[in-house]
Amino acid sequence: MSAITAPGILRRISSIWLRHQKCYCKHLLANGFPPFVEPLLFLAAIGIGLGRHIDSVEGIKYSHFVASGLLASTAMFTATFELTYGTYIRMEFEKVYDAILSTPVGLTDAFVGEILWAGSKGVFFSTAVLLTISLFGMVYSPLCLIAPLVGGLTGIVYGALGLIVTSYVKDINNFNFYVTGCCTPMFFLSGIFIPIRELPVFLQKLSYWVPLTHSVSLIRGLILGKVSMAHAGNLVWLLICIPIVVFIAVARIRKRLIA
Amino acid sequence: MAVIAAYNLTKQFKNFTAVDSINFEIDDSECFGFLGPNGAGKTTTMKMVYCISPRTLGSLTIYGMDPQTDASKIKSIIGVVPQDDNLDPELTVEENLIVYARFFGLSRKQYRARIDELTSFMELEKKLKSRIKELSGGMKRRLVLVRALLNNPRILILDEPTTGLDPQVRHLIWEKLRELKTSGVTMLLTTHYMEEASQLCDRLVIMDQGKILLMGNPHDLVEQHIPKHVVEFSLNGSCLNMGTIREKYDCMIETYGSRCYIYSNSDSVLANICKNAKIQHKIIRNATFEDLFLKLTGRGLNE
Repeated sequence: MSAITAPGILRRISSIWLRHQKCYCKHLLANGFPPFVEPLLFLAAIGIGLGRHIDSVEGIKYSHFVASGLLASTAMFTATFELTYGTYIRMEFEKVYDAILSTPVGLTDAFVGEILWAGSKGVFFSTAVLLTISLFGMVYSPLCLIAPLVGGLTGIVYGALGLIVTSYVKDINNFNFYVTGCCTPMFFLSGIFIPIRELPVFLQKLSYWVPLTHSVSLIRGLILGKVSMAHAGNLVWLLICIPIVVFIAVARIRKRLIA
Repeated sequence: MAVIAAYNLTKQFKNFTAVDSINFEIDDSECFGFLGPNGAGKTTTMKMVYCISPRTLGSLTIYGMDPQTDASKIKSIIGVVPQDDNLDPELTVEENLIVYARFFGLSRKQYRARIDELTSFMELEKKLKSRIKELSGGMKRRLVLVRALLNNPRILILDEPTTGLDPQVRHLIWEKLRELKTSGVTMLLTTHYMEEASQLCDRLVIMDQGKILLMGNPHDLVEQHIPKHVVEFSLNGSCLNMGTIREKYDCMIETYGSRCYIYSNSDSVLANICKNAKIQHKIIRNATFEDLFLKLTGRGLNE
């Protein structure tokens, strides 16, 4: 009898990532459409409407101020949807994980792969926004090329948070509570539209605990070419947050799936 | 040496015990069946073997390895045909197989060869580019079987492999399973079809409420546990005294609703009973494995 060897952990995780990539790319045009077009709509609305009432924020045109933040929010939303509705459908309706878990891929492999996929979508979506806004001259520094990586970190954090929510949800409609009740407030609290320092003090304090706030600050610094120690703080905040939320997410989903 | 060995294997969920301290050993290249009514614990036992449901108590080894510590290794030599077709509906037939092969770490060269070989083995080679929803139930089932064989498994787990299929597909699948068996694959099979169990299984267990009621070769079990012949008829409108018949002819009698079954080792005794009790519209036949199964697990009255 020959020795039994299972594929290594990297191979197991990447096989999950490749599965998602394959499904995503089957409808590349439809799936790739939103990240390119959504920022255009936002910026048009601001440029035509709101921007005429606000000259500048923190020394730059308001539409430019908002544009950089959209890289982060798009990463948050794509990762959130992927690991809430997407994961739930794969889990409960398509039974994809039943098939996956009967192969050498373990639960940790599968869901770390899943979260990394959310991170990759974060990279892809923020890259799309970056390309779009750079066409409008809203990018100030070559440091912007690093910004999609922050979009990736954002995707990982929000993917893991979404997975934690998914581990509790019994009915797909209940995701509305999370998306509208948590993600939308985070979107408005994160400093994309309103500079944090102009918020009431208690909201300023609250916004510090919103991961998106740190992503927005970091990405904005990179795009505007103004990077400081505060940005290093944002990065550290995100890097500490990631292992914590990923660990909780995998533990929670294990509790749900393995009876 | 037993390929799979379970001792006092137990699985408890919150409120009930799905598998209740069962023992079995499965040998190399054997086809081993798990039979029992729904909820008997068959699927749960299978899930413990292919490492997606941790056991509560007892011991379980697969090639000497423990599912709790060597899950990845064990799963790399197992192929699973689950009860429901959990194919990836977003992908085509070929993509399903490629994606699944990568879960086993197969290289492109390896999976290309396996996919060609197995799709022609299961007569699906013309369907490679089809979407899953375009496949019939029988094709999906064959595809799940192809998928289960991609990693060249030493153990094949078949959870109701032919449920809901037409007889043609069922016979094709049986034929393919026999071929696999001769090539040395060990098989675990659950089924509700007694014919399937008799056709394929070297040994089987009958389970009910988490316990094993009986274990052995299906043909031997029929010989050992029930009389050779049975007469089957409807009780409607007749007023037979079962107690008298049983005492007089020394036979075993069972009723399920209005159906009555009288068992005996001699068919002439059965013919006599029918003649004397004026039973019409009767069937005298050989007792089958299904009779044994119903005797053990049936809800009917055992008089």
